[in-house]
Amino acid sequence: MILSVRDLRVSFRTHDGPVRAIDGVSFDLEESEILGVVGESGSGKTVSLLAVMGLITDPNATIEGSIRYKGRELVGLPPRELRRLRGNEIAMIFQDPMTALTPVYTIGWQIAEQIRAHRGVSKAKAMARVEELLAEVNFPNPREAMSRYPHQLSGGMRQRAVIAMALSCDPALLVADEPTTALDVTVQAGILDLVRKLRATHKSAVVFITHDMGVVSELADRVMVMYAGRVVERGTRTELFSDPRHPYTRALLGSIPPLTGQKPRRLPAIPGSPPSLLRLPQGCAFGPRCPVRYEPCEADKPGLGKGAHAAACFRVAQA
Amino acid sequence: MSEAMMDADRPILETRSLAKRFSIGTRFSAEGRRTVHAVDNVSLTVRRGETVGLVGESGCGKSTLARCLVRLYDITDGMLLFEGDDITSKSLSELRPLRRRLQMVFQDPSASLNPRRRVGDLVAEPLRIHGKLSAKEITARVAELFELVGLLPDHVMRYPHEFSGGQRQRVGIARAIALNPDLVVLDEPVSALDVSVQAQIVNLLADLQEKLKLTYIFIAHDLSVVRQVSTRIAVMYLGSIVEEGPAEEVFATPAHPYSQALISAVPVVETTPTGVRKRIILTGDVPSPLKPPSGCRFHPRCPIAAERCRSERPELQEHRPGRKVACHFPTLT
Repeated sequence: MILSVRDLRVSFRTHDGPVRAIDGVSFDLEESEILGVVGESGSGKTVSLLAVMGLITDPNATIEGSIRYKGRELVGLPPRELRRLRGNEIAMIFQDPMTALTPVYTIGWQIAEQIRAHRGVSKAKAMARVEELLAEVNFPNPREAMSRYPHQLSGGMRQRAVIAMALSCDPALLVADEPTTALDVTVQAGILDLVRKLRATHKSAVVFITHDMGVVSELADRVMVMYAGRVVERGTRTELFSDPRHPYTRALLGSIPPLTGQKPRRLPAIPGSPPSLLRLPQGCAFGPRCPVRYEPCEADKPGLGKGAHAAACFRVAQA
Repeated sequence: MSEAMMDADRPILETRSLAKRFSIGTRFSAEGRRTVHAVDNVSLTVRRGETVGLVGESGCGKSTLARCLVRLYDITDGMLLFEGDDITSKSLSELRPLRRRLQMVFQDPSASLNPRRRVGDLVAEPLRIHGKLSAKEITARVAELFELVGLLPDHVMRYPHEFSGGQRQRVGIARAIALNPDLVVLDEPVSALDVSVQAQIVNLLADLQEKLKLTYIFIAHDLSVVRQVSTRIAVMYLGSIVEEGPAEEVFATPAHPYSQALISAVPVVETTPTGVRKRIILTGDVPSPLKPPSGCRFHPRCPIAAERCRSERPELQEHRPGRKVACHFPTLT
């Protein structure tokens, strides 16, 4: 077991009152497994992973629950200890590669610095490793790319450079937060291929956050669907896409226009919009938009249950 | 009657070899003054009542073309005709009466709506500028528009930040249709919205098109959304159209190698494990429009490029009624 998260709760104190961004999220991750986390803005998918990496430094935040990495508790670990893990054993890729790169140093220097910081090797050795890494992420001319500055690269190349940086220390866990959202589909296809290849060669476990159901269905082994800070459904890719159970998962899949076959005259749309975390309904957060809600949904929040394929919905529990 | 029929046949908007070039740098900068060929030799006909989808990677010139079509940019070369009338170089004052009939909806509604004004005011603004309506009539028209786009009557007093992304885009749409336009250019109207909200806006646009007999030019990078909305699509690469045809046909049997790669790259939800769809992965990046490649602009990345493609640029040709391809070796089934 690489990662085991239990009952994670993250809340923020704000001017408008407390906001519970994450409300009881639990999941496990095995070696060389890809977990897809799907959700819209405000669903808590990013915050939960920032918590895992110890990157929530806001003094107004409270983090409760347990996050175990290879059996070691990360919640409450001193920043120094966390820093030793981050970038070394736990690597990250974000949506905008420019935020992970400094504009004033060359790509080669930046990746080498990370290797030297964590591994203490000589500069020459680090540079040789950088060249290997850039070749691995399909830079046609890695030696030349090392001397480039971030602004001289295209978006897709920058993201590949960030991936090379993330892989520089052979991470056991790679967290990718919407890494392809800002990219064109043609470039995205290449990056997804790369993630698949890396899982195979480096045996890294991957948490892949996205809002794109298509990406998840092509990449993930297991999927977790989030809504308003809670996991509403989890299961293997096949389970989730061939037998979606939660009304939200079903509705979301139904609202995606097909790429082949007959065009529907109208798309089956979900009414309303995702709720504000400041004003969550009393019962099920999806209730106000749900086509199958009934009385119990208004009183209580449905639990996810124990099964491998589970949905947090009273209707599903009843069936 | 016959006049109405002629009207339906006549293209509402037409471009002939339209080009837009930008100059960048000065003669003092390292590379000197250079020219970006953002849109190059685009001939596109838009008929009344249809939706033309423009697709292509970022930097392919689709947004620049859209802005040229509503004359937000000045056109460098070629012609732009609106209902057969040459508007390529009309002055701003001459364009004014046309603006009413040619509207645009932008990607980010929070950037295109003034945060300090109430949304009722924002929707009333075009009516005040163009219309000859009394204050009372304007209020009534705003209420009507709000209902049309699915907003509540008491929303008029709110400010843009009080709305969700989807509602803000509804305000943007209400503003665009306020003056009963004929043609609306939609530049990535759903891209900034949450997935669960996109379908609502797509449906709203379809309803409005039917009710108000609108013609759309629709730009989006999400290909499945474009297919859903469009009757016809034009695939752009490096400033030019490489393929054009009925949306469903182009998606089912793309003829240009670039369209094939683009469509194959879209991740789709498959209930059974993958393997059916073959993906074409393009090598390299889109070349810079500062120095476009010789011959066919796609040849450096094309899996089937031959000698001829390096030297000779293929024209956009009609291979079958309604299906145009700019390729020496198109896949025509």
